[in-house]
Amino acid sequence: MPNIVDIAVSNDAFKTLVAAVQAAGLVETLQGPGPFTVFAPTDEAFAKLPPGTVQTLVQNPPQLARILTYHVVSGKFMQTDMATVNALTSVEGAPIRVDASDGFEVNNATVISADIEADNGVIHVIDTVILMG
Amino acid sequence: MLQTPVQPTTQLPPSRHEFAEIIHRLEAGGAMLPDTPENLKQIIGIYKAYAVPMDFYWRDLLYIAERVFLDPTPFFKYFLPPEYLDLPNHYAGDDADLRIWRGEADAHPELRAFLETGELKRKLPRLLHHLWHDRINMEFAEACMQSMFWHQEMGGRFNDFLDSEAYRQNCDRAIKAYFQGNPVMLGLYKLFPEMFIEQVRQRSYYANLGLFWEVMAPVFFEMCDRYTEGSLTSVPEAMNFLVDGIFAVAGRPIYHHVYIRGECYEIIPKSQGFTWLYEAALPYVEAVFYRVSPFRGTRSYNAQVGQVPKDQRDFHYGILYADIFPVGSAGVPPTLLMQDMLHFLPEFLREDYLQHCRGEDDMLIQLGVSFQRSMYCVTSAVIQALRTALYYPLDDSNPKHLEANRRFFEAQLDRFKRPEARLGDIQRQDYR
Amino acid sequence: MLSLLIWLPIFGAVVIGLLPNQVSALRIRQGALAITGIVLLWTLGLVTQFDLNNPGVQLQEYFPWIEVLGLDYSLGVDGLSLVLVGLNSLLTWIAIYCSDVNTNRPRLFYALVLLVSGGVAGAFLSQNLLLFFLFYEVELVPFYLLVAIWGGVKRGYAATKFLLYTAVSGALILAAFLGLIWLADASSFAYDSLLGQTLPIGLQVLLLSGILIGFGIKIPLVPFHTWLPDTYVAASTPVAMLLGGVLAKLGAYGIFRFGLGLFPEAWAKLAPWLAVWAAVSVLYGATAAIAQKDIKRMVAYSSIGHMGYILLGGAALTTVGIVGAISQMAAHGLILALLFHLVGVVEAKVGTRELDVLNGLMNPVRGLPLISALLVLGAMASAGIPGLVGFIAEFLVFQGSFAVYPLQTLLCVIGTGLTAVYFVILLNRTCFGRLDNAIAYFPQVTWREKAPALILTALILILGVQPDWLTRWSEPITTAMVAAVPTEQAVQQIVQVSK
Repeated sequence: MPNIVDIAVSNDAFKTLVAAVQAAGLVETLQGPGPFTVFAPTDEAFAKLPPGTVQTLVQNPPQLARILTYHVVSGKFMQTDMATVNALTSVEGAPIRVDASDGFEVNNATVISADIEADNGVIHVIDTVILMG
Repeated sequence: MLQTPVQPTTQLPPSRHEFAEIIHRLEAGGAMLPDTPENLKQIIGIYKAYAVPMDFYWRDLLYIAERVFLDPTPFFKYFLPPEYLDLPNHYAGDDADLRIWRGEADAHPELRAFLETGELKRKLPRLLHHLWHDRINMEFAEACMQSMFWHQEMGGRFNDFLDSEAYRQNCDRAIKAYFQGNPVMLGLYKLFPEMFIEQVRQRSYYANLGLFWEVMAPVFFEMCDRYTEGSLTSVPEAMNFLVDGIFAVAGRPIYHHVYIRGECYEIIPKSQGFTWLYEAALPYVEAVFYRVSPFRGTRSYNAQVGQVPKDQRDFHYGILYADIFPVGSAGVPPTLLMQDMLHFLPEFLREDYLQHCRGEDDMLIQLGVSFQRSMYCVTSAVIQALRTALYYPLDDSNPKHLEANRRFFEAQLDRFKRPEARLGDIQRQDYR
Repeated sequence: MLSLLIWLPIFGAVVIGLLPNQVSALRIRQGALAITGIVLLWTLGLVTQFDLNNPGVQLQEYFPWIEVLGLDYSLGVDGLSLVLVGLNSLLTWIAIYCSDVNTNRPRLFYALVLLVSGGVAGAFLSQNLLLFFLFYEVELVPFYLLVAIWGGVKRGYAATKFLLYTAVSGALILAAFLGLIWLADASSFAYDSLLGQTLPIGLQVLLLSGILIGFGIKIPLVPFHTWLPDTYVAASTPVAMLLGGVLAKLGAYGIFRFGLGLFPEAWAKLAPWLAVWAAVSVLYGATAAIAQKDIKRMVAYSSIGHMGYILLGGAALTTVGIVGAISQMAAHGLILALLFHLVGVVEAKVGTRELDVLNGLMNPVRGLPLISALLVLGAMASAGIPGLVGFIAEFLVFQGSFAVYPLQTLLCVIGTGLTAVYFVILLNRTCFGRLDNAIAYFPQVTWREKAPALILTALILILGVQPDWLTRWSEPITTAMVAAVPTEQAVQQIVQVSK
C-alpha cells in the first residue's frame, strides 16, 4: 500500500499541498511509520486563501511547517472513530474541532472525501485550509 | 449623517444583539465603522499620519532589540543610526519579500525631513531637538511594547517560549557575549541572572513589536496611495485591504536576533516557527486595542475600591475604549502618538480639522477621535480575518454555518457592551 | 460739563431709536458703543477735574426750572457720586460691548440701554430731590422693557414683578420726600437747603423708614428682595450686569445720600437695627445661594448678601466703615458684572446653567479654560480673597463696624465664609471634574466675549493691590458725613429737647 506522501503526489488535486510539504521539509516525516491522520486541503482550498498568503509561507519553511502540521494528527482516525469525539490534538499542538455526527466537518472545513487509507495512516480530503484559533 | 440601516443579507432572522445593526453590517461584509466618505477620509488620512512615525517606531524598536540590547545606560537609544534608517522594509521597495507598498524600502522621506529639522523647522544638533522634545515620541512605542509584555497570556506560543530552557540558554550566550570584558556586569549577571533574562525578554518584545509594525507601515502607506489615486473608495474596501494584508503576511516569522560585535546571536530563532499573525498581530490587538492599562491622566483610578479590575483579562483601557478628552490633557502615551501624527497629517485632513470644533486648538483630540475610528476599522479587519480563518464565508449556503458566523460576531461585539466602549460613538459622524 | 453725562446718552437714545430700518444691527451697536465710549472718556476727564481735598459738592450746574414746585435743574458731584458715576459709565460701555451682535430689535434695545445710562447718571448727579426722583423713575420703564422683551424664560413674570416692586419703591420715596418738604416747611426740593432740617426725631425716624424701605426694595434688602432672583435670572447678560452693577447701587446711593445725609440723628438712632438688618441680609443671601441649582440664580442671591455689607458699613457710622461701604458699591458692581458676564458666556456656550449638568469646563482643550479661570478669580474676589478689590471693601467695612457692632460684624464675617462655600460648590461643579464627551462641543469663545471679562478682571486686580485709587475719592465726603452725625449724647439731648 502506498504511504501518505505517495497518495498525495499521485493525485492532481494536491499539487499545492505537495509543493508545500516539500518546501517545509516534511516529506520524510510523512513517509515515516506514523501512523498519521492527515486532513489534506485541495489546490482549490489553497486558492481560496487571499493572495500572498502561500507565497509568504513558502518563503518561511518553519512557519509553513507549523501550518501544515496543524493538519496532521498522530494516530489513525477513521470517520467512524471520530463520530464520538469533539476535538483532536494536532501535531502542531493546537486542537482541531471535529464534527462527524451530521456530515463530516473539521474546524470550518468540510471533508469532501473521507477515509483514504494509506500504508502509514489515513487521509481525509478537505475543502478549506484550516488554521489555529 | 444618517446611515440607512443595513438589511440582513442572510437567511437568518435579524439579530437581537444590542448592536444588531452593526452585526448585520459585518454579515454583509462591512466594518464596524459606517461606510461614509467622511469616515473614509478620516481613517485614510490617519493611517498615513500614523505610518510615518510608525516607520520610525519599527526601526528603532528593532535597533533597541538588536543593537542597544542590554546597554545599562541607553541614553541614545532613540538616536537611530543611518543603517537603521536605510534598513530595507521587507514589504516595500524593489527587493521586497512581498511588495505591499509601491514606495521605497528605506525610511519615508517625510520622516527623514522631520528627523533633520523637527517641528522647529530648524537644523540644530540632534541632542537639542531631543531635549526640546522635538522628535518622534518613541515612548509611545515602548508603552505598547510594555503592554504586550505585561499582559502576556494572549494566545500564541511566544510567551511560553520565553520561559523555556532553550530560551535561557540563548540568553545566556548573548548576555555573556554582550558583557564580555565587563566583570562588573558579568558579576551582576552571576548574582541576579533572572533580572538579566527578564530584561532580554523585554527586548524580545521590542523585536516582536518592531517586526509587527514593519508590516503595518507599508500597508498604511499603500492604502493612502490607493485612496489618493481613487482606487480605494469605501470603508469596506479599506477593511478588506487590511484583511488581505493580514493573510498575506500571516506567516511572516517573528524572531529576535541580537548583533554583538558583528556576530548574530539568535535569541529566538526563526526556526521556532513563530508567525506574525499568531505571535504578534493578535496579541498586539488584544493588548493595545483592548486592554492596555489605566493611564494616570486627568482621570484617576483607585485600585483599592475596585476601580481597576483584579483580572488582567478585564482590563479595557485601549484605544477602542479610550476617553480621548482627558487623554488630550495629560502627558500619557496616547497623547504622544497624537503629537507624532500631528506632524504628518495629510493636508486634506488638516483642512478638515480646521473647519470643525476648535480648529487648531483641539486638533489633537479631533485627530485622536479619527484614530479611534481608524482603529475600529482595523479591529473590524481582524474580526473579519478571524472569521475567514476560523469560520465560514459570508455567502455560505449552509444556515448552520451562518449561525456560527453570527455567534462569532456577537461574541466579538459583546466586548463593546461596556459603557466606556466607543463603538456607539463612532457610529455618529458628529463624534469628533 | 456734568450734563453731558446725562444728555449725550439720552440724545443718543433718541437718535438710535429714530434710525431707519436699513441700518444694520452691527452699526447700531457700534453707534451705541461710540456714545458710551465718549461718556466713559468724559467721566475720566471729570475725574481729573475732581478736587480731592474738597468734601463738598463740586462741578455744580444750576438752572432754575419750575420754581413753583421747588424743582430746579441742579447737578453736582461729590466723592460718593463720583465713584458711582464712574461705575455707571464703565458698566454701560461694557454691557453694550458684550451684548449680542444679533440682538433682536437693536434700535429699541440700545436706545433703552442708553436711556437707562443717562437716567442713572442724572440720579447720581442730581442735587435736587425732585430731580433725583424724576431720573430715578426714568429707569423704571426701560428696565421693565429690557427684561420683558429680551429676557429669558419667565421674562414676563419677572418683568412685572420688578415693575410692581420698583413702583412701590418709588411711591415710598416720593412720599418721604414730600413729607420732608411739607413737615420741614421748605420752599424748594434743593438738597442743600434740606440739609439742616430740625424735625422732631420721631418724624425723622418715620421719614427715614420710608426712605430705607423705598431704597431697600431697590438694593434689595431682605425681605424686599424676592423680585431680584427672578429678574436677574430672566434678564439677558448685559441687562443683568446693569441691574446688578448699577441699579442696585442706585438704591444704596439713595440710602446714603437721602437717608444718612438728610436724617443723621434718626440714622444714628436706627443704626444698631440697620446693622442687624445687614447681618440678616448677608446670612440670608449666602445661605440661599448655597441652596441654588442654577448658577445665575446663585450669583443673584450672592448679590443680596453682598449688598448687606454696604448697609453694615453705613450703620457703623465711622469714616472707615462708610468708605468701605462706598468701595463695596464699586467693588460689588465690578465683581457682579464680571460674574454675570462669565455666567452668560457659559450659558451661551454650554447651553445650560444647571449645576448638575455643568462639569469640567476647565478642560484646556475642549472646555472654556479662560472663562473658567476668570470665574475662579471672580469667585475669589467675591469671597473677599486678599489682593482683589472685594477684600479691600469688605475689610474696610468690617474694620469700621467691628468696634461699634461686634456681633453683627461677626455674623457678616461668617457670611463671607459662606460666600466661599457656595462659590466652591459652583466652581467645583462647573469648572472642575471631567468634561463630558457627549456635550463637549462648545463653540469657541470669541475675543469679543473675552475682552469685557479681561477689562473687569484687570480693574478688580488693580484696585485690589492699589485700593487707594478706589477709596481716596470718598474719604473727604465720608469724613464730613460722619461729622454731621451727632454723638450718642447729642441724640439723647435732641430727643429730650423735642419732648
